[in-house]
Amino acid sequence: MALRLKPFLEEILGLLKEDFPRQLERLIEEADGVTYLQVLDKETAVIIVRDSRIEIASKAKKKEINVRVHMTRGCLFDVLEGKRTLAEAMDSGDLTVFGDPLTLLRCYAIWERVISLARTSPRFYFLTYRLR
Amino acid sequence: MLSSRVEDTPWVDSFDLPSVFDPRLPLYKEWHDFVFFDRTNDLFGLLNFAVHGNPYDARRGYGAALAFLVDSAGKAHTAMKLISLDDLTVSPFSPDFIGGGVSVSYRKDNSFSIEGKIEDISFDLDVPVVQPPVTMSQVGFDVLSRNRIDAGMLGVAGEMARVWDKWVELPRLTVTGNLSIGAASYELDTTTGYQDHEGGRFDWGTVAGWDTGVLLCDPNSGGEPEKVSFLFYRYGPSGSSSYGGVIVKPPSGEERFFDSEKMTITRSGEFSGDRAYLPGVTRLLYPDYHPKISETIVFSGAAGSDKVEITFTPKAVCTIVVASITNEAETTFNEMYCDATLDATIAGRRYQKTIPCWFESVRPRGSLNQDGP
Repeated sequence: MALRLKPFLEEILGLLKEDFPRQLERLIEEADGVTYLQVLDKETAVIIVRDSRIEIASKAKKKEINVRVHMTRGCLFDVLEGKRTLAEAMDSGDLTVFGDPLTLLRCYAIWERVISLARTSPRFYFLTYRLR
Repeated sequence: MLSSRVEDTPWVDSFDLPSVFDPRLPLYKEWHDFVFFDRTNDLFGLLNFAVHGNPYDARRGYGAALAFLVDSAGKAHTAMKLISLDDLTVSPFSPDFIGGGVSVSYRKDNSFSIEGKIEDISFDLDVPVVQPPVTMSQVGFDVLSRNRIDAGMLGVAGEMARVWDKWVELPRLTVTGNLSIGAASYELDTTTGYQDHEGGRFDWGTVAGWDTGVLLCDPNSGGEPEKVSFLFYRYGPSGSSSYGGVIVKPPSGEERFFDSEKMTITRSGEFSGDRAYLPGVTRLLYPDYHPKISETIVFSGAAGSDKVEITFTPKAVCTIVVASITNEAETTFNEMYCDATLDATIAGRRYQKTIPCWFESVRPRGSLNQDGP
């Protein structure tokens, strides 16, 4: 059975704390002030970064959320496996993103760095595939 | 000459797993490359089975199986699967690589059984070893004992010994069995199989790259040598030095070595055929990354009255980006399926033929000299 979104994000956070503490510190610094709502299929989770702390929550106040990303599992793995580009995923409507452009750019840079870390960590890779 | 027998394959081609006390355990990497071309189906194949990182820690190491196939229309089909070390069996006592739904098993009759599924590519192959394995030490010994030793030879020998714990080739394999790509099935039967097996404990950031490959000759088809292979290895602080050569072996005769010091390499045009990128996330991270590949690469050289000229024309390319586990270094492998037009004269006999070829060009990612000599 596929891992659910919130436990997945909690495990990723645990993994980053354990294996990549310095990189996590920098990611938190760069993401300070972001409240990020992730919808994956019908599941939701919120990543809240405030005052040098990061928290994974089930929900947050609507007006505090400054980034919303909706996608399907199929779309996520198509993009990770290079079968579709981000632009193709967005054009198809399987990936939708809301937020002010500057915050979105910050989030994009953060995800890029997280994905780069994931390439070098078999733990990260196999954990991601439990989400499928 | 140092020599091996076919019967030596199981130990020569086994995995050189490092000691658990080795301080360089996180840098360990080792792989089998099986290459073939089936002339009836006009199908090229490269199957790679690898271990990366600490082989004793499933959190710090992993196995990988990769397929790069090119069909008769020149279309590249690629697939890759990562295998958890919890599920992978490799050993210093055999070439076996078993796990994650793929299996390379060495049998008592000196053949490999290679079977499994990587995404939509399935294979069930019987691969007898036809010729004995050749090791890096054997090639080095032959080259050093038959040729005048120069600085390039010594430089590259020192560098390869520093980096590689193992570099072995099985120069001829028979490949029979079934292979399918999605709904398309192929029955393979070829004597042009080849394997190489490399391993070492080094960081990708310390390697300047190489160009290596083999013409998948069929000496029974007439007009083809027994073997044509090449290696040009880059070394030195900026990777600006390179040494190597081309080896040509006639069907019944002694190998000829064409030293890179007496060869010219010319490159022209830009490849525009089918291209694939692995792992898939490379496309997400570097959407505009298309390292330059030449349209044609020509090796030309002479040794006494013998001469060789090979014109490589890549037909499909698979670009693989490998990331260091310990730092930010990345290395790009351009795996190319080429037509190689050979024009060689060895001991008075001329060989003129276009032969399918596997050409592997490796450089640090981002190197300005991605396609350089």
